[in-house]
Amino acid sequence: MKKDRKDPVSANNAGVDLTRPKRQSRRRFLQKTGGILAASAFGAVPLRGWAADPVNIGALYPTTGSMAQIGIGCVAAARLAIEMVNDAGGIKSLGGAKLNLILSDVQSDTTVTRTETDRLITGNKLSAIHGCFASALTLIASEVAERAKVPLITGSSSDQLNKGRTYTFTPFARASQFAQAQLQMAKLVSDKPKVAVIFENTAFGTSTSNGLKELAPAEGVEIVMFEPYSAGFTDASPLINKVKSSGANALFSVSYLNDLILIVRTVKQVGLNIAINGGSGGFVIPDFYKNVGTLAESLQGVAHWNHDMDPNAEKVNAEYKKRTGEFLFEYAGGLVAQTFMIVDALERAASTDPQKVRAALSSLDVSSGYAAMAPGGKVKFGPDGKNVYGRPVGVQWQSGDLASVFPKEDARKPLMKI
Amino acid sequence: MWETVAQAVINGLLIGGIYALVSIGVTLIFGVVKIVNFAQGEFVMIGMYISFFLSNQFGIDPLLSLLVSMPVLFVFGVLIQHFLIRRVLGPNDMPQIFLTFALSLLLLNLALMLFTANYRTVHTSYSDEALHIGGLYIPVAKLIAFVVAMLLSGALWVFLHVTDLGKAMRAAAQNRDVAMLMGINPNRVFCVALGIALALAGAAGSLLMPFYSAYPFVGQVFVLMAFVAVVLGTLGNVIGALIASLMMGIAESLGIQYVGADSGLIVVFAMLLLTLAFKPTGLGGGKAR
Repeated sequence: MKKDRKDPVSANNAGVDLTRPKRQSRRRFLQKTGGILAASAFGAVPLRGWAADPVNIGALYPTTGSMAQIGIGCVAAARLAIEMVNDAGGIKSLGGAKLNLILSDVQSDTTVTRTETDRLITGNKLSAIHGCFASALTLIASEVAERAKVPLITGSSSDQLNKGRTYTFTPFARASQFAQAQLQMAKLVSDKPKVAVIFENTAFGTSTSNGLKELAPAEGVEIVMFEPYSAGFTDASPLINKVKSSGANALFSVSYLNDLILIVRTVKQVGLNIAINGGSGGFVIPDFYKNVGTLAESLQGVAHWNHDMDPNAEKVNAEYKKRTGEFLFEYAGGLVAQTFMIVDALERAASTDPQKVRAALSSLDVSSGYAAMAPGGKVKFGPDGKNVYGRPVGVQWQSGDLASVFPKEDARKPLMKI
Repeated sequence: MWETVAQAVINGLLIGGIYALVSIGVTLIFGVVKIVNFAQGEFVMIGMYISFFLSNQFGIDPLLSLLVSMPVLFVFGVLIQHFLIRRVLGPNDMPQIFLTFALSLLLLNLALMLFTANYRTVHTSYSDEALHIGGLYIPVAKLIAFVVAMLLSGALWVFLHVTDLGKAMRAAAQNRDVAMLMGINPNRVFCVALGIALALAGAAGSLLMPFYSAYPFVGQVFVLMAFVAVVLGTLGNVIGALIASLMMGIAESLGIQYVGADSGLIVVFAMLLLTLAFKPTGLGGGKAR
């Protein structure tokens, strides 16, 4: 830690000492000494010099466009997290520097995400970024952040985010892990699970469902139907018609909210008796229950975060509920934890320099406090930016609330069978 | 096998009825006023929100709220024609395109501001019900929507062919200049055409509400299908748009069943391209009816 802090200062001195005298030794004597004086003065009081400046944290979320509804919830949680940090005294190793959240609306659009990420990074001195909820958007933002050498921490689940990137950190379960959890949950419901997999043809849908397909044989689950669909359809009937003719006894739907509502309603209309696992995405947010109502009861899903996981999560949930009237959903809860991971890194880096924050994030190792709010309660990043302890939590809608039911260590309520 | 095909056709027909209400509105406006209304989808959205709030606040069934949403949107259409579109009707198309496009953006963002991006659904007693006939099922809400959509389309046909105003409208569609020479007041005819088109969009919104969620972007989903239907069924041809919409619904449904669930639209667009290749004026022929 100490070494980190001294490094730039000595480099600074060396630069002034070595290059300048060679060129104009006498004529610029005064300027040279002035430069050295300035440099050493800077080196002598680095902490106080930076303490006055807040630490800029970028937040990229879609607050308009088709994903706006979740994006707005994310922003509320991001603000809450920043307040929690600042009320507790800010970053102590930076003399109590406050966090400053710089929000940017990525408009649920990949092109806009690219330009907005670029604008956010070039227009502000950022120490770290979190975002963007949807994997398709996060993939773009992480590319831009990678090039600009600013660390990005995200709850997005696409496994692609862990490939060829050194500035991207994913503290929560990956899409492939979601798949395994879903398959294991199917075995809890039926001894001979025959699963129909339907998924939206996006980065999120494809990576999640490919994970399901690859892992199914090893888990002893038969996949009888595997079908992508275009997100935002007008009618789920043809799709459910197809599920019906496949003879499946469990349905995995990898979808965002609106499609999933149509799917659940249509399954009911068809009179299909099938265990539905909605995965994550639109399934694990309060709006789902509001829209589907009692039809949602006993539907299963997987999440990378749930509000009943540990006392800290419950505390944050209570505060979020007070502000928004809804429980703290998966992605928003996860990003509160992410903010505290950035805080932990900032404390250890004692610098706002994004590259030092990245270095500190890569050596993060927490098992208590708000930063450790994750299934399993531990966060430590591997070389690919993946949390080595990351795992998903199986959830089920029970009387209007989302209860953790799987695996055993994380279960807070027993699984209801249909 | 046959059961699956029959079910796919039923599903397609039912959603095709909704596409028809939207596309008839677009084609009517194009046929009579000769402008492309890019904001048609947003009027469906407004219709949905009207039904949602009536149901949510006063417990009025979405189908009954048809009686509110249609007149409200009719008046809306007349006002838009009188105060906005009338001013840009000239030899140049660009201002008209920008006007309706701007209207679409304005309404969309206004809805986003007023109602937020949340999905709103209405639960009715028949929302999740279905008629089971043999191995087939017909969702009640969609069946009602389809029947009402067909009744409204029929009523429009009668209006266009029997009443003087309807005939005047068809005359204006066929040749605006000659119609004016025959003493038809174009502004009055245009106002009514806009009103009817928007009322149909409002009806589509109300009929959708029992089984589809309302959100600010909902119109975009339907307006794409409507534009395809309008081109497929010949621009300005009401019956053509109706038949094309039903065909597209069936094509989409069969495409999902037999090609792939993400290929429904591919089948629809393939159908459009083939039609245009062999019959460039669309299925309805060259005449506007």
